[in-house]
Amino acid sequence: MTRLAIVINQDRCIGCQTCANACKMENNVPMGMLWNRVITVGSDVIDGAVGTYPNLTREYLPMACQHCDNPACQAVCPVGATYTDEAGRVLINYDICIGCRICMAACPYNARVFNWEEPVRDPDFNYGHKDVPVRPRGVTEKCTLCKERTDEDREPMCVTCCPTKARSFGDLDNPSSAVSALIREKSAYQLLPERGTSPKTRYFK
Amino acid sequence: MTSKKADTVARAATPMPNSSKKAIPAIVILAIITLVGIGAWVYQLANGLAVTGMNNGTSWGLYITCFMFFVGLSAGGLIVASSAAVFGVRQYKQVAKPAVLLSTVCIIAAAAFVLIDLGGVQRVFNLILHPNLTSPLMWDVLVIAIYLIINIVYLVLMGRRSNVASDRALAITSRLALPVAILVHSVTAWIFGLQIAKVGWHSAILAPLFVTSALDSGLALLLIVLVVLNATKLFATSKKLLSSLAGLLAVCIAVDAFMVGCEILTMAYPSAPEEAAVLTLLFTGSSAPLFWGEIVLGLAVPFLLLVFSRLRESVGVIVVASALVVVGVFLKRAWLLLTSFVTFNVAGAPGVAYGRSGLDGTDIWSLIGTYAPTWVEVTVTLGVIALAALIYVLLAPRLFAGEDGHLELASAGAPAFATPLEPALPSADASTAAALGTAAKTT
Repeated sequence: MTRLAIVINQDRCIGCQTCANACKMENNVPMGMLWNRVITVGSDVIDGAVGTYPNLTREYLPMACQHCDNPACQAVCPVGATYTDEAGRVLINYDICIGCRICMAACPYNARVFNWEEPVRDPDFNYGHKDVPVRPRGVTEKCTLCKERTDEDREPMCVTCCPTKARSFGDLDNPSSAVSALIREKSAYQLLPERGTSPKTRYFK
Repeated sequence: MTSKKADTVARAATPMPNSSKKAIPAIVILAIITLVGIGAWVYQLANGLAVTGMNNGTSWGLYITCFMFFVGLSAGGLIVASSAAVFGVRQYKQVAKPAVLLSTVCIIAAAAFVLIDLGGVQRVFNLILHPNLTSPLMWDVLVIAIYLIINIVYLVLMGRRSNVASDRALAITSRLALPVAILVHSVTAWIFGLQIAKVGWHSAILAPLFVTSALDSGLALLLIVLVVLNATKLFATSKKLLSSLAGLLAVCIAVDAFMVGCEILTMAYPSAPEEAAVLTLLFTGSSAPLFWGEIVLGLAVPFLLLVFSRLRESVGVIVVASALVVVGVFLKRAWLLLTSFVTFNVAGAPGVAYGRSGLDGTDIWSLIGTYAPTWVEVTVTLGVIALAALIYVLLAPRLFAGEDGHLELASAGAPAFATPLEPALPSADASTAAALGTAAKTT
C-alpha cells in the first residue's frame, strides 16, 4: 500500500503564501477560491499576533485537504464521487458529483470549495498542469496532492515551491521515507484528532 | 408552460362542486406565484448557485432549511393519520384524508427543495447509477421515495369503495406508513446529527428531536388546514375533534421543549470552548433572534394557549397557536442549520474563501460563515410553497367531496361529527376491524 502525505514544519513556515499561489496556478483553480491557504492561527488579520504586547505569539498553519485515512467527506457523498485512490489520495470524480455539498458540511477543516458560478480565470485561459481536469460549475473541488505531478513521481507544487523547505512529501507506508522519519522523530501531530478523521497531513514545530 | 398550467386550472375547475368555485381566485394566485418561482429557478439554473447567498463558509441555506421544515410538516400529518389507524384512535381517523394529502404535498415540496439546492441537477441520475449506501443523504433519497409512494397508495386506497380487500390493504398501508414516517424524519436528522465536523449538529438526540418537532409542526399545519377546509365547506371537522387535536399538539410542544432543553444543557454544562461558541451565538449572537423566536413564539406562547382546555375550545386560539408553532419550528430549522456554519473549527485569518470571482483582494475571504438569502432563494421558496398549496387546493375537492355527506352536513350548518366515537369514515373503521382479523363488513 501507498499512503502519500505532506508533513509540514510550522517553525519553518514564514506565512508567505507561496504554497497557496503555487497550488492555485498548478491546479487551474478559478478566481474567488483556493485549495490551499496559510492560516494565521487565532488572528483576525493575516500575519497578526496573538496575545498582549510584549507577550505575543504568531503561528502559521498551512491548510488544505488533510487527505484523511477516515475521510468524513467520502462516507457522506451520496453518489460516491469522493473516493480514496490506490495511493491514499482523497479525490473527487467531477463527472459524478451532483453538487449537494454534504461533503462541505462533513469536512471539519473547511478544505473544500464549490463552483458556485461558471469558473472565472484570470488570465482568461486554463493554466497549470495540462492534465488537471477542468471543473464545471456546480461541483466541489479541493487539493488532490497534485495527482498529475505525483503520478509522475514528482512532488506536489506546494512542496516544490516552498522557499523555506517547510514541507516534506512522501509515503507514510514506507518507514524509511522522509515523512515517516519526521513523524517518528518530531512527533508530528494531526489536526483536530478528536474528530476521528485521522488526517495523513501532519504538522510539527 | 403557461398554457399547460392554465389547462390544469381549467380542467380542475370544471368538475368541482359548488363550494370550491370560490377556490378559483386562490388557484390563480397560487399558479402565478408558482410560475414566478419557476422563473426564478430557471434564472438560478442559468447563472448557478452564485445567485444565492450560500458560499464556501455557509454551504447550505434557505433551501435546506425548507427541506428539513417540509419533511417535518409531512411526517407530522402522516404520523397522526396512521397512528390513528394503527392504534385504533377512531376520532383521529376522520381526518386521515386531509392529513395524508397534506403529507403528500409537503413531501413533494421537500423533495423539490433538495433538487433545487443541487449544483448539478443535470447529473442527479447519478443517485441511481452510483449510489453510495453509507451516505445519510442516500438513505434520505430512498426513504423519501418509499414515503411518497406510501402516501400516494394511502390516498388511493382511502378513495376506493370499502370492501374487505381494500380495507385490508389500507390497514397494511397504515402500519407501514407509521414507521416510515418516523424514519423519514430521523434520516433527515441524521444528515446533520451524524456529522462529527459540527458540534452543534453531532448529537444522538437530533433524530428524536426532529420527530417531535415534525409532530409539532405537522399537527399544527393540519389544524390550520382543517379550519380552512371547514370555512370553505370542503371538509367538516367538529370543534371537539379540533380541540382534541390541539390538546395533542400541546403535549408535542412540551416534549419538543424538553428535548431542546436536554440538548442545550448537555452542550452547556461542560463549558467546553467549541460548544460554548455555538451556545453564545444562539443566546446572544447572530442566531439569537431565531433561537429565542422559537423558544418564545414556537414553544412557550402556543403551549400556554393550548394547555388550558377552556382556551383551546376557541378555533381562533387554535389557529393562532398552530401558526406560531409552524413559524417556531421553521425558526428552529434555521438556527439549527446556520449556527453550526458560523465558527470554523480551524479559525484564523484569512479564513475561508467566499467562492465568488469579482471580489477584490482580501474581500474574497471571510473569517466566519455568513449567510443571508437572496431574492432568488426567497422567490423560489415561495414558488415551491405555492406549488404545494396549489396541488392541495386542486386535489382536495376531488378526494374529499361527494363522500360520506361531508359537504351536505357542513353546508347545512350541522356539526359533521357530533360525537367523536360515531363512525364517520366507514372504510377507515373497517380497516381496524380487518386488521384485527374480524373481517368486519361495513354497512
